[in-house]
Amino acid sequence: MNPLRFTRRNLLRGSLAATAAVPLLDARRVDGAATPPTRLVVFSTPNGTRNNLFWPSGTETDFQLKTITAPLEDYKQKLTFLRGIRLNDSLQNGALGQNLGSEHARGTGGMLTARPLNPGSEFISFGNTTSGWGSGQSIDQYLVDRLDPPTTHKSFQMGVHVRDTEVRARISYRASNQPVPPREDPRDAFSALFSGLMTPGTPGMPGTVDPALERLWAQRKSVFDLNNAETERLLGIVGAEDRIKLQAHLDSMRDVEMRLVGMPGSSGDPSGGSTCTTPTAIDSEFAVDDQYLEAGRAHMDLAAAALACDQTRILTLQWSYSESEHVFQFLDISGNHHAISHDFASSGVNFDAYNRIQTWYAEQLAYFLGKLDSYQEGDGTLLDNTVVFWATEIGESTAHDLELMPYVLAGSAGGRIRAGRFIDYGNSRRDNNQLLISLAHAMGAEDLTSCGDPSGATGPLPNLV
Amino acid sequence: MRPVSGLLKPTLLLLFATACTGAETGEGEGTGATGSGASGAGAAAGTGGSSAGSGASTGAGAGAGMSAGGSAGTGAGAGAAGEGAGPPVVPTTDACPTQEVTRTALRRLTRFEYANSVRDLLGVDPSVANALPADEITNGFDNNASVLTVSSLHAEKYVLVSEEIAKAAVQNLAALTSCDAAVTGEEACALEFAKSFGRRAFRRPTTPGDEQLLLAAYAAGRDGGSHAEGIEVMIRAALQSSHFLYRLETTTPADAAARLVPLSPFELATRLSYLIWGSAPDDALLDAAQNGELTSRDQVAARARSMLNDPKARSAIAHFFRQWTGTTRLEITTKLATLFPSFTDELRAAMQAELPAFVEHVIWSADHDLRTLFTAPIAFVSGPLAELYGVTAPAGAAPAMVTLPAEQGRAGILTQAGFLSVQGHPDQTSPVLRGKFVRSMLLCQPPEPPPPDVNVSVPSIDQGGTARERFSAHLTAGASCNGCHLLMDPIGLTFENFDAIGQWRATDNGRPIDVSGEIFGATDPTLEGPFVGVQALAEKLAGSDQVRDCVATQWFRFAAGRMEAQPDACSLGTAQEALAAADGDLIELIVGTTQLDSFWYRSPVTP
Repeated sequence: MNPLRFTRRNLLRGSLAATAAVPLLDARRVDGAATPPTRLVVFSTPNGTRNNLFWPSGTETDFQLKTITAPLEDYKQKLTFLRGIRLNDSLQNGALGQNLGSEHARGTGGMLTARPLNPGSEFISFGNTTSGWGSGQSIDQYLVDRLDPPTTHKSFQMGVHVRDTEVRARISYRASNQPVPPREDPRDAFSALFSGLMTPGTPGMPGTVDPALERLWAQRKSVFDLNNAETERLLGIVGAEDRIKLQAHLDSMRDVEMRLVGMPGSSGDPSGGSTCTTPTAIDSEFAVDDQYLEAGRAHMDLAAAALACDQTRILTLQWSYSESEHVFQFLDISGNHHAISHDFASSGVNFDAYNRIQTWYAEQLAYFLGKLDSYQEGDGTLLDNTVVFWATEIGESTAHDLELMPYVLAGSAGGRIRAGRFIDYGNSRRDNNQLLISLAHAMGAEDLTSCGDPSGATGPLPNLV
Repeated sequence: MRPVSGLLKPTLLLLFATACTGAETGEGEGTGATGSGASGAGAAAGTGGSSAGSGASTGAGAGAGMSAGGSAGTGAGAGAAGEGAGPPVVPTTDACPTQEVTRTALRRLTRFEYANSVRDLLGVDPSVANALPADEITNGFDNNASVLTVSSLHAEKYVLVSEEIAKAAVQNLAALTSCDAAVTGEEACALEFAKSFGRRAFRRPTTPGDEQLLLAAYAAGRDGGSHAEGIEVMIRAALQSSHFLYRLETTTPADAAARLVPLSPFELATRLSYLIWGSAPDDALLDAAQNGELTSRDQVAARARSMLNDPKARSAIAHFFRQWTGTTRLEITTKLATLFPSFTDELRAAMQAELPAFVEHVIWSADHDLRTLFTAPIAFVSGPLAELYGVTAPAGAAPAMVTLPAEQGRAGILTQAGFLSVQGHPDQTSPVLRGKFVRSMLLCQPPEPPPPDVNVSVPSIDQGGTARERFSAHLTAGASCNGCHLLMDPIGLTFENFDAIGQWRATDNGRPIDVSGEIFGATDPTLEGPFVGVQALAEKLAGSDQVRDCVATQWFRFAAGRMEAQPDACSLGTAQEALAAADGDLIELIVGTTQLDSFWYRSPVTP
């Protein structure tokens, strides 16, 4: 790890800045005056949980962790268990007569959108109910539009061995039928996030940047301008539905344009003095099954550093795909995760294997929280200024349950969440719309009153702040 | 947990009345490549060659996604509409002539099409396109237009990849353009290149607007640089253009009120080219469009036949078959190293290479008969695959044709090691996945996944016995289990002479293997009834009208880049008839696709 001090001398910029760039050096030197930004991380792992080994015992403020979450013990005071959240009626089985797609598919598409999947014949599920893709914008992308963070990447999607590209593999949506794919190669993520930080010179300061690079940026700018103008012209020619697609194209082009032409956001040292460190370059894709841990660690290291260096404030980190059939040979487990997750037995080989996999995922989350907690920001840590949502597509894995989602938050979003609690909403279930609203509030969009399908409740979760 | 009875749908209740909760065994529903389909899965509910349906009406795009209080802006959740699920399409030529055509969403080039296009446009190594995100898979295929959009990640890669391509392309400027700037002048050569390259990149003659744009890009490289750098930036601009990345069909129709909008000759040439080559039209095809040689259906059929003779057709057609058989998933297929140490990357690569070589043989060297795909007792082996099949390793790295040992009883695609590996578990075979593949992709009767609350964990191989014994609970434990499993397991169990990586075996766990099976619930009566072994299954499938119609349906979906919908009844019926009339000749299916109304027309633009 190379501590990156905020002096011009040490602010390295490399030729790879083609893919990213950092702001003017001077903008980063705030000398402790700045309030650190709040960040959102969605940490998604597949195949639900087992309620009896997931939920803590005890009271709201004095609770004990169970097997699956035991690895999080060190961060217990920074966790908020949310017992009693359900996916809203539009995502439940037949509650609105919709029943679109399998529970895994619905849970995946609805996790961050609180919306049902589109009708369609693309994906089949039990009962011959079919579905298309997600039908609306996910909360992370809503926050991108709403907050328009001044960061190099408005949001960043990472995937650890996701591999699948079906509806069950996409949690983030720009809009209906517009899934956002994750980056799965950590080398690619590294390059996108940090090569700009390692590029010598300061954009806009004549003579400091490699002239060839400045020339490339200028050429890119020309090409963006030319093609964007032409795509805008096409918007007036195509039909209504294709216009949505081309508009999304144009938005995506504009989203990447700034960082590709050497004009990053005004991101800087987020806390006025904390240590932004560039990770060491990654030289492997860690693509083989048994490198799941290494791939995950690489992504988590990059994610934490990206947040610390304010390269993004909204990040999804997705492990495998929902309904994952990942095989954990390195844990000496021979069955695939999804198959194991459906064994009813309360003991035995599969019971043990499933619990070990879930615990393993909790260990990875603990590692990630540890990373975030290692960055000092003002009086607290990066974790304190973040809200991490540990998400999964279903509840009790043996039942494909969507009525009791095993949700837990970590971090306190800069004080907007009172952490260190086990909140049990009991039988008065809360719709997942409300969780998404709460996440938006935690990120500063405090006037959001409703989101997702209107069948879900409005307003934030009670007792969170 | 919901009450179980609430889960049962009428189709299932029709067959079996009791729920399947807590059954001892079950099985994961497996992989998406073979997974999705549409309605009509129940044994009594199959509706024939095409049981899938998607409504003509478009599904509702979601409205505003999030709303903030006060006057704060709303994050728009509106989006492109999906295809709504509708009643099953009944393909029939009785529905002809076509009254309207189904809208196809604007088609973005898939990663495969992008790679082929830049290879053919510029002679660059197409692997450069591997940096693009993988395409979303819908119904087994990577080209469903409804969901192929451009995310920020796509946008970034389109920029960076185009730069790599352009850089490589201008290394040999003379190969790109015959215009010599030293003789003709840089400006004239730039304009010439804008016209000639622009025409191929945009798949139509350039407009003055296009030329202006491309020359402006050229200037961004030429000013302070060189002619070659100007050309380089022009190439980048073309490859980042919506005219390249999308297959735009925006020609204004002569009759503004027409419900069937004829394509322009260039749009037709583009459809033809991506159908048969998976790539952009070449100059000859564009010339044909320009010269009015693509105006009659006979002309287009003749052109399609000649295009099939181009080597470019081979990988493009194989791309369909790789997806149809699910073998694209080989690269993410896992086997336990302790049980299958031979399942190395080399073996996987050899398996991956076999299907395209086999398809190429059947279509271009053998009789291009659908039946041969199922019955040919041959394999295409390279590297460690020879040992797996128990044949002598051929010389050379390319897959070479061998005749398989007769005693193994292998037959065509169904016993290829790659197929058998994909449709299997990490530690053992999967009679369910194998049967499910036959049911979904060959019979077009995709079974439902298991109910949400049953135990789908795979029986442990430590139980011993044969797979038939281990999976027996599917057929005995509960009526609502065997409701679907009867449709799959009795087919899949006939593959049991081949283990989880497709090696032949006489015994399973030391016990003799029973490969008797039966097909239930087919719409084709010749398929019904008992049989023994995969070869017998292959013979049945090869002779079945239902399978033949289903293959036409799968091909139609791939060709159209969408699911079929009600307005396709005539076109899909015609495609099925084309294959039937040609007695299963696959070339006639491909050529026949170019004759369909759905190929010749588009839907009107809805403002």
